[in-house]
Amino acid sequence: MSEVASSTRHLIDVMGTVVTVDLFHVSDNDEARDAVERVRALLVDVDRVFSTYKASSPVSRLRRGELTLGETPPQVADVLDLCQQAKTLTGGWFDPWALPGGVDPTGYVKGWAAQLALEELRALDVTGAIVNAAGDIASFGGPDLESNFRTGIVRPDDPQRFAAVVELRGCLATSGEAERGAHLFNPFSHTFVSAVASASVTGPNLGVCDAFATALSVGGHDVMVLIDKVDGYEAMTLDFAGSMRATPGFAFVRE
Amino acid sequence: MKRSPIVAVGTVVGLASVLSFHSSPAKISLSAATGVSTTQPVTTTTKKQTTTTAPATTTTTARTTTTQKQSSTGATTTAPATTTTAPAASTTTAPATTTTVAATGVRSATGPSVNYYFGVLSVKVTANGKKITAVTIGTINDGGNPRSVQVDQYAIPILEQEAVAAQSSNIQSVSGASYTSAGFQMSLQYALKHLGI
Repeated sequence: MSEVASSTRHLIDVMGTVVTVDLFHVSDNDEARDAVERVRALLVDVDRVFSTYKASSPVSRLRRGELTLGETPPQVADVLDLCQQAKTLTGGWFDPWALPGGVDPTGYVKGWAAQLALEELRALDVTGAIVNAAGDIASFGGPDLESNFRTGIVRPDDPQRFAAVVELRGCLATSGEAERGAHLFNPFSHTFVSAVASASVTGPNLGVCDAFATALSVGGHDVMVLIDKVDGYEAMTLDFAGSMRATPGFAFVRE
Repeated sequence: MKRSPIVAVGTVVGLASVLSFHSSPAKISLSAATGVSTTQPVTTTTKKQTTTTAPATTTTTARTTTTQKQSSTGATTTAPATTTTAPAASTTTAPATTTTVAATGVRSATGPSVNYYFGVLSVKVTANGKKITAVTIGTINDGGNPRSVQVDQYAIPILEQEAVAAQSSNIQSVSGASYTSAGFQMSLQYALKHLGI
């Protein structure tokens, strides 16, 4: 059956969600299992360091002022540097420092961690791999040697249907209201109000996609203009009436 | 910038509209301009993490193989039949086709009860042939705490719907609107496996 790729799925219960790792046309099962185990350990460690739900995590302690940045594991400073870059690129719409309760890099960490996880899989002899952290997706390759992966972006008002199908070349992050209620913070109005119902960003790095999608959700059109200027990144939004806007390069699959 | 780079694609239904393209000025190159780099943090961090002893977790690695379903046919496994059946039948009971034997008609299976963030749940899957027609919660016990009930009320219907949507197109992943419960996914995977899907 050509439409069914030979794939194996691994579920990793971490970060309060499930991360799925899909490997396509694995030639060495032992090697793949070892790589997935490294991914699991990596994600568990990221959660241990960055979780804002765990009071004992270094980031939680940093937020409470119990630790200085220098006293936290070095990845915290790395991620905050990347957050600062994303803040600049989004004109301040992505701003972990504006959040109530102290600096919160959560909007960057999930995508960043999934990207790290993907790097652990890159040396495997497979046609492609997907790391999906609750809808934030990092990938390389495809379901076979000829095709790219295709990802369905669900409609925020009706998750049983897709708003669009996108050809995946790298990463895709989606941010939106339906996910966890009105949870996105607008750093300019200091309110939890989103500009659009759903915002998706594609590009080569999932941490950046994740930050851009968060910014796009609260900033809407202004942020889409900024993303369009960044090489390799494309964006799509659905407003609350169901209207879609996209940058010209967004890789829709026409069905 | 005077150009209008953003294209209104129209409504979801009107996806077929032509995307016009306006000539772009030079784009910002992220890695060159800002130093955002995937590889630098990757190597440093992963090396550290491979040697880190992870705290004990309940992590489970479930394996399902999409094309080789020999282990998923359960009670209806027909592989052994090759030794006893007529030649015509034995040609249909090769390992690769055992799932098609199992995966016919309308049937349902409930995955095991698994722990999720707020309690215990199991997922029930109904299928017609190899097509999933419904995904519902078989059983759930969230202990009645208000936060849990609130999460369940919006998360569970989304999960149920997504599982149905995901198999309706030729896609490998789903993005957006998903509060993905690990417990839900695990019970779902086992139910699907039992159904030979």
